[in-house]
Amino acid sequence: MSKAMLIDTTKCIGCRACQVACKSWNDLPGEPAAYSETWSSPRYLSSHQYTRIIFREAAAPDGSLRWHFIKRQCMHCLDPACESVCPVGALKRLPEGPVVYDDGRCIGCRYCMMACPFQIPKFEWGKAVPLIRKCTFCAERQAEGLAPACASTCPTGALLFGEREELLREARHRLGTAPERYYPQVYGDRIVGGTSKLYLTAASFEELGLNHRGFRTDLGEVPYGIYGRAWMSKVPLVALTVGGLAVGLHYLNRRLAAVQARQGDKEG
Amino acid sequence: MAEQVKKWYPGEGKITPARVVLYLLVMLGAVSALIRLFFGLGATTNLSDAYPWGLWISFDVLAGVALAGGGFTMAATIYIFNLKKFEPLLRPAKISAFLGYLLFIIGLTLDLGQPWRIWHPMIMWNPQSVLFEVAWCVMLYTAVLAIDVLILALERFRKEKLVQFFRQIYLVLVVAGIILSTLHQSSLGALYLLLPEKMSDLWASQAIGPLFFVSAIIGGMSMIILESLLSARAYGRQPEMNILPDFARGLSIVLIAYFAMKVTDIYARGVNVLVWDRPHFFFLVELVGTVGLPALLLSLPAVRHSEKGLLTGAGIAAFGVVLNRFNVSLTSYGGYREFSYFPSFFEIIITLSLVAGGILLFDFLTRNLPVYHELTRESG
Repeated sequence: MSKAMLIDTTKCIGCRACQVACKSWNDLPGEPAAYSETWSSPRYLSSHQYTRIIFREAAAPDGSLRWHFIKRQCMHCLDPACESVCPVGALKRLPEGPVVYDDGRCIGCRYCMMACPFQIPKFEWGKAVPLIRKCTFCAERQAEGLAPACASTCPTGALLFGEREELLREARHRLGTAPERYYPQVYGDRIVGGTSKLYLTAASFEELGLNHRGFRTDLGEVPYGIYGRAWMSKVPLVALTVGGLAVGLHYLNRRLAAVQARQGDKEG
Repeated sequence: MAEQVKKWYPGEGKITPARVVLYLLVMLGAVSALIRLFFGLGATTNLSDAYPWGLWISFDVLAGVALAGGGFTMAATIYIFNLKKFEPLLRPAKISAFLGYLLFIIGLTLDLGQPWRIWHPMIMWNPQSVLFEVAWCVMLYTAVLAIDVLILALERFRKEKLVQFFRQIYLVLVVAGIILSTLHQSSLGALYLLLPEKMSDLWASQAIGPLFFVSAIIGGMSMIILESLLSARAYGRQPEMNILPDFARGLSIVLIAYFAMKVTDIYARGVNVLVWDRPHFFFLVELVGTVGLPALLLSLPAVRHSEKGLLTGAGIAAFGVVLNRFNVSLTSYGGYREFSYFPSFFEIIITLSLVAGGILLFDFLTRNLPVYHELTRESG
């Protein structure tokens, strides 16, 4: 059993208290407000901004406009691509759920940033000795039996922290009891093998225009680490085959040359 | 018996304008590298969260390693396929492969956020990571290449016993080198297996590993031809025109095979290549202009037997390998974000200085080690 968070975006009022709580718990520096075209602030996640609320105004089927507030942070995949690609094992998924990062191992190659299907790991570009930074799911708070800072500060109950199985049940229950309220899908249920952040939204991510901004819907249900593992599983066989062929051909070709030379001698 | 000479080539030791430019570039690069180390990647590069990998990964790492593929290609030609007539090409290929990897490691070190931790993969393992495997293979293969160059140095200084010892285990080194090269040349492509959703369909192929491997052979072979022709020109030597045309025929065959692989891959995945936008333009230039064209050119005997023809054919083929690596790592990734990337002054200078340093070191090593058969340094 692992911990997860149900993010019911229909309950979010866009107050951004979670952003503030995250900054203060992780002791991250403040920054001048920079608004996106739709009043999200800040505009991007960064090494000192682990979460943000994306503001989106979209038309409902009846034509009326309404606001959507979508929280973005590390999805804490059940089988994370970042953990799979990291050459030094700096990123690890804990059995309890959080995907955590070890400052002491990282070499700064940034392959995790390339591989993450949600583009979550961020680099400390401003520092001479930079590390990767991302949401930790407040692993250290969880270890003390506390809920993550964002969830404990949310005033509307949009962020529900608990066991993944129970939250999935709760999400399906909500979809069943109030179908008019939701787009009929739990984002994170099965995508890339499942994530610890589960989303309920009023509209699909395509309608919200977010499917290419961190909430892709075409990722499939296979964890991306599988491609790397499949490749790596062939390495011993390839090494043996190439090595065997090389040695074999070396002796074969040498022998052929020797035989040819001898025949040449006889004829000559 | 090899001719003994005091001077390698008429102008040896003279300070030519070209040499001045190369030294200046290296010095500029060294200063830039220091600035990068003290002020960090953000201050000196145009890399960002949207473009974590830039020029250094595309050129210094991906293209550099492919172009340095001449080492294992030549070793396989001579020792595995027993094509002894190409032996004069072997030693320059070893030198340039060693230098290629040395410079690639310097470039990679500067690209890492924590350069002094470059050794971490040795003790901190993650066997499911393709990059972990690349790190190990590159580490071991560079060691093999270093031993190879060491043997040349031992020959130069007449340490017959040690040379004898290494000759006895030489097949082990050759086979290890070929295994390690096969693995990491293809695995550099396999790094991109994990991010198909970010890449253009044109390059996001499950076959990218084998494609990288075959194009590394092209990179290696074309660089061997270029080096032979260019160093002959620089040193006032005769290029090996007795064997280069046959070698170029081999290159044209590999190019045809690679062309077939690329076309099959695109066709099997049902990708439409006839769309008019930037990635498709670069893809067609890569496939038709830098794989198809040199394959055709080098399959014509008239072209193969002229120095100019060889230079053109091999030049385009080598450029094509570089273009492919840029396409996979930048063009392909470009359409994914609303941001764009162009390397900064420091990134460009450091890359140029690595190339300049490579040329100077190549010159230094060929002058001081028994690389070219017909010449040996006069001892004493």
